[in-house]
Amino acid sequence: MNEAKISLDAISKSFGPVTSPVVAVDRLSLDIRAGEFLAIVGPSGCGKTTVLNMLAGLDKPSAGTMTLNGRPIEGPGAERGVMFQDYALFPWRTVRGNIEFGLIYGPAGQGLSSAARDERVSRIIELVGLNGSESKYPHQLSGGMRQRVALARLMANEPEILLMDEPLAALDAQTRIILQDELLRIWGQDRPASERRTVVFITHAIDEAVFLADRVVVLSSHPGRLKRIVDIDLPRPRGDATRKSAAFADLSQSIWELIRDEAYRATMN
Amino acid sequence: MKRLMLRLLVPALTLVVWEIAASGSARAPRPSTVMQTAVRMIANGDLLFGLATSLGRVFAGFALASAVAVPLGIAMGSIGALEKNLDPLVETFRPIAAIAILPLVILWLGTGSMSAVTIVAYAAFFPVLINTIAGVKRVEPNLLRAAYSMGVPPMTRMRVVLLPAALPAILVGMRIGLGLAWTAIIAAELAVGAKAGSSGGIGQMMFVFYAYSVELNGIVVCMVAVGIVALILDRVLRELLARAVPWSRA
Amino acid sequence: MASSFPTTAAPRRRLGGLLVYLRTMGLFVAAWFIVALNVPNKLLLPSPVDVALALRDSAMDGELFDNAAVSVVRLFVSVVAAAVVAVPLGLAMGRSRLCNDLFEVPVELLRPIAGIAWIPLALFIFGIGHRLPLFIMFYTAFFPLLIGTAAGARTVDERLVAAARTMGVPEHTIMRRVIVPAALPSILVSARLAVAASWTAVVAAELVGAPSGLGYAIEYYRSMLSTPSVMAFIAIIGLCGFLTDRALRRLGAVLTPWAQTEQAR
Repeated sequence: MNEAKISLDAISKSFGPVTSPVVAVDRLSLDIRAGEFLAIVGPSGCGKTTVLNMLAGLDKPSAGTMTLNGRPIEGPGAERGVMFQDYALFPWRTVRGNIEFGLIYGPAGQGLSSAARDERVSRIIELVGLNGSESKYPHQLSGGMRQRVALARLMANEPEILLMDEPLAALDAQTRIILQDELLRIWGQDRPASERRTVVFITHAIDEAVFLADRVVVLSSHPGRLKRIVDIDLPRPRGDATRKSAAFADLSQSIWELIRDEAYRATMN
Repeated sequence: MKRLMLRLLVPALTLVVWEIAASGSARAPRPSTVMQTAVRMIANGDLLFGLATSLGRVFAGFALASAVAVPLGIAMGSIGALEKNLDPLVETFRPIAAIAILPLVILWLGTGSMSAVTIVAYAAFFPVLINTIAGVKRVEPNLLRAAYSMGVPPMTRMRVVLLPAALPAILVGMRIGLGLAWTAIIAAELAVGAKAGSSGGIGQMMFVFYAYSVELNGIVVCMVAVGIVALILDRVLRELLARAVPWSRA
Repeated sequence: MASSFPTTAAPRRRLGGLLVYLRTMGLFVAAWFIVALNVPNKLLLPSPVDVALALRDSAMDGELFDNAAVSVVRLFVSVVAAAVVAVPLGLAMGRSRLCNDLFEVPVELLRPIAGIAWIPLALFIFGIGHRLPLFIMFYTAFFPLLIGTAAGARTVDERLVAAARTMGVPEHTIMRRVIVPAALPSILVSARLAVAASWTAVVAAELVGAPSGLGYAIEYYRSMLSTPSVMAFIAIIGLCGFLTDRALRRLGAVLTPWAQTEQAR
């Protein structure tokens, strides 16, 4: 369980003209372990989304190598599922239509009979708690429901890695807390570690990162560099009791102190 | 109730004033004579024949325009270099109204239906093209990225994500294009009617009423018919839009 | 965080745009030239050279300018006249329930009847001459302006109005200082539409019933079977339409700099 699933080796990414490039990510090296829940936090402009895009294969690094299971990452693939900010649900498809999309049109569904496919989709709908909403359209759903559809669509392809870009950012505080619990349940925090999928989770909310993750990667900004990797040794399964614990508060505070000055400067200038 | 009466006040007054004012001159059209003529024209099938001819030309031209404009618009909206290089042509010809090229088209194709359909196609082409391009460019990029990240191949992405996502804008372009097409056919038939006598459409009927039979009531009936058809076309397309793409309201 | 574009980017972009324009249109004219060489019938497809010569001749003997001026003046007069009536009425309809109720039905009934459809009747009333195109263009410009103004007045952010009211500003001042500026972008967009529609109308009206103007010129040359001149005047119509649209866009940028976003088309 502790071998590296994904390896980033001195990854750099620059944008803009060759004469005056903007360095978004600077020589980031990181090992992501199989089955772990890894959160990435940092002030705005630290390249969090860029890193995720590169992991997803939607973008190529300017320098450095990225490997998955030892093989270099060469573009997107259904084994790395992505959940976007704002969910990117297809407005013309129902909840079921969205969830089964990757299975119908992508490689993840190859070899699957339509009966098997329907069965898998039904199982996922059950798992994320959307029974009864299968025939609704995204514009008829609340924010929390849309988030779960996006998650279900991702999971229907049974990816090895889940890449999530601030998935809870668009929700109000109460819904967020509830969905954090839901996310951990769906990920399998009640099940043995070997049954959990690897998750890379971007957020700017430190308390969220500490609550959800096994490890938190803290990046500094301009350019994005690795500042610290913090182990979160809070016991699982986690819930409301975790949020009230002193250890939780200490971890959140220590991470905040790592980025506070940068965040202050970014906000006030 | 009071609101309803207010809304009908001006039209009712206008009709009354018109009727009275026109009763002075024997030949002036007025609501009563217009109604009589309308009934006559409907009964002997002239009105419907004229409308059908014009509408047939409109649909033919519109279909032709869409068949070219939609694929081209999708291509131009997706491929920046294509749009950049073709844009000068579009921007040069767009300000040239369909009616302006009518004399040229008559020179090339004569005064029959072919010219009419060509003019209609030209008129409908630009709104459909421009709205399709805009619609494709406005597709939320993450929708395409989501499909890409699920391993969906490019052609399938275009069919299954890009097209439905751009559909609301394409339909808006079609609604505008159809409206312009209807105006264009009337104008084209009026202008052609002035040269060739008549061959069927509503615009040509209007001109015949003007130039030959001096049937002013007939002209007004045709005008009202033109208005009614325009309204119907617009409403039908709005309904279609609401049905086919219900999420674009939300 | 704060990305500053180098100040040479904007003119460089414009130059680049101009080069692409010249390249594409150059290719187009070249292709036209080649095709025209293979079509011996000059009536059917004159070469670009013939058209250019026709343009030059018309320009030199003043005919081009005279006709263009006539059409442009007609356009200007009718659109301004339409605006003088449509904008106040539109503002009233947008803000007052009563006004809206009174006029909505006649507007909705008259609007679908294209200005062009009025030509035969108008020919009877006005005969051939100046008044016909003026009337048709006025009518054609009127409705987009009216409806655009009403929509703009109706969709003014009510919080702006509320803010003015809480400051004790009287209603008619609110109309002048809040509603009109807030509705102005919408009015200008509909003005561009009105002008474009009127250009279509002017050609149709002049084609059928006026002794002067660009539409008349096209029809005249068609009857003389001189295709190069027909094409030359068509090009001028396109140019005038383009220039008037640009002028209105500039006006919009000057009057309403805060609203210059997706107004391109």
